[in-house]
Amino acid sequence: MALLQVVNVSKSFGGLAAVSEVSFTVDEGEVLGLIGPNGAGKTTLFNLITSMFPPTGGRIFFRGEKIEGLKPHSITRMGISRTFQNIRLFAQMTARENVMVGRHARSRAGIWGGVLRTGSQRAEEARIREKTGELLALMGLAGHEEFPAGKLPYGHQRRLEIARALAAEPGLLLLDEPAAGMNESETREIHQLILSIRGLGVTVLLIEHDMSLVMKVCDRLVVLNFGEKIAEGTPEEIRGNPEVVEAYLGREEDDGDA
Amino acid sequence: MSFDWLNPYHLQVASFILINVLLGVSIYVTLATGQLSLGNAGFMSIGAYTSAILTTRHGIPMPAGVLLGALLAGASGVLVGIPALRLRGVYLAIATLGFGEVVRVVFINWETLTGGAVGIAAIPQMGREILAALGKTGFSPQTLGLRNNQFISLTVFLILLAATLLSILFFLRLSSSRVGRAFSAIRMDETAAEAAGIDTTYFKVLAFSQGALLSGFAGALFAHTTSYISPADFTYHRAVEILVFAVFGGSEHLLGPVFGAMFLTLIPELLRFISEYRYIIYGILLVLMMIFRPQGVIDPPLLGRLTGRKAAEGA
Repeated sequence: MALLQVVNVSKSFGGLAAVSEVSFTVDEGEVLGLIGPNGAGKTTLFNLITSMFPPTGGRIFFRGEKIEGLKPHSITRMGISRTFQNIRLFAQMTARENVMVGRHARSRAGIWGGVLRTGSQRAEEARIREKTGELLALMGLAGHEEFPAGKLPYGHQRRLEIARALAAEPGLLLLDEPAAGMNESETREIHQLILSIRGLGVTVLLIEHDMSLVMKVCDRLVVLNFGEKIAEGTPEEIRGNPEVVEAYLGREEDDGDA
Repeated sequence: MSFDWLNPYHLQVASFILINVLLGVSIYVTLATGQLSLGNAGFMSIGAYTSAILTTRHGIPMPAGVLLGALLAGASGVLVGIPALRLRGVYLAIATLGFGEVVRVVFINWETLTGGAVGIAAIPQMGREILAALGKTGFSPQTLGLRNNQFISLTVFLILLAATLLSILFFLRLSSSRVGRAFSAIRMDETAAEAAGIDTTYFKVLAFSQGALLSGFAGALFAHTTSYISPADFTYHRAVEILVFAVFGGSEHLLGPVFGAMFLTLIPELLRFISEYRYIIYGILLVLMMIFRPQGVIDPPLLGRLTGRKAAEGA
């Protein structure tokens, strides 16, 4: 069964249709790339899936349940986590605290647990710390635990944001341009990280402009242009699709990536 | 044994310092989620009037009056906190300041309940009540080497000290728990906090009503310390005074407003000998703070250096 089903989803801002009648599905265990030129509606689609704002029309199902109209925090609790195109970390918190916050949806201690430090609260804090340590290590951030997040190098911040998203134990992870602004070796690291995330059994929906990364890491691609889906298929099919080539490059031949 | 050095006046100043510390913590609790509420003078008056009316008119025992006063203030905090979700920054500050004024005007005009502008007198005083209760068992402060007025002031001081320390401990522990992390996350980036699975609506209203509850608690204790309250005790001057505790002491850590409240309550008393000029010095101090240490005296890096740890907050 499809993990995520997006059915005829539309979103307009004022009179401008940012996304119109887009449908696709994400299958369990795959890495699906969402590509398209700037302004094609990719991030808008992420915001619709995570319910940052409601769709103008259409429906979204996660594990068969309707999720449009829910609050974003409920979506996270159901198993969809995300990162942001322009990194949104809790800058004055340490790297460790950022990931611990990410664990919020999978922990439950309330006011009295926190104040009285009950046995179950302390056991839960210990589990949060353990899980946090594992994720920071997985993302290559061991040794940076006590660093203020806002002062980490850019590449580390990207990976910390992914660690925070994974802390909620998502079934589906939405990555919004994880390799943006990165050099070649950092991009290779991101490639490896996406593969290890998939190894954890997490399905990935990826927005990315770096075509060499997208072609290597994705099982399938969905291509958007001006808010509409213009193509869908394996990287090989998309590479040869004349409509996609035109959307990216216009009619002239060029070897640009994005 | 003699306790002649135990001056009731000094104890009273110390008691007012402790009440102000509670108020300083109350503004911090709400500010921890990035919400600047100037309504705490209003919530304080709700706590004070509730307990004063219940104990003077309805014969409710004082501890129950204080508890009900705090709870009613906390409940009003929920009612104000929900519409406050729509407001941010200076707009929230203005709206909550307006709320405090509305409460005060209601207390002035609802004369049958509140005594109007004259206020409520002869509110049971904590120290005197305890002395009277102990007197029935045959106890006399003289056996401890204390005069009656010394015993009364000392009792009030000790009760307030216990209440203040417990409140500080409560919120310090809360701030280094899952709930406290959610509060900080909301203050730093509300969208990212929501995406991290935090129910921002719930935690913002929770923080708002916790601040209101603590203000009401401080207000009820205030009523039973002075034994007289009137609307003049809860004007916007009080609201601004509470804000200044956080601005001066620092608003990034709980201990900031605690320090601010202690220092700024003590300074005018210490400077009494230069009478009229003391508020000039108070003002100069505030201006110097704005220039040289805008984040307030206490901030996490300073606490880190003091305790010799790298990260003072959370951990």
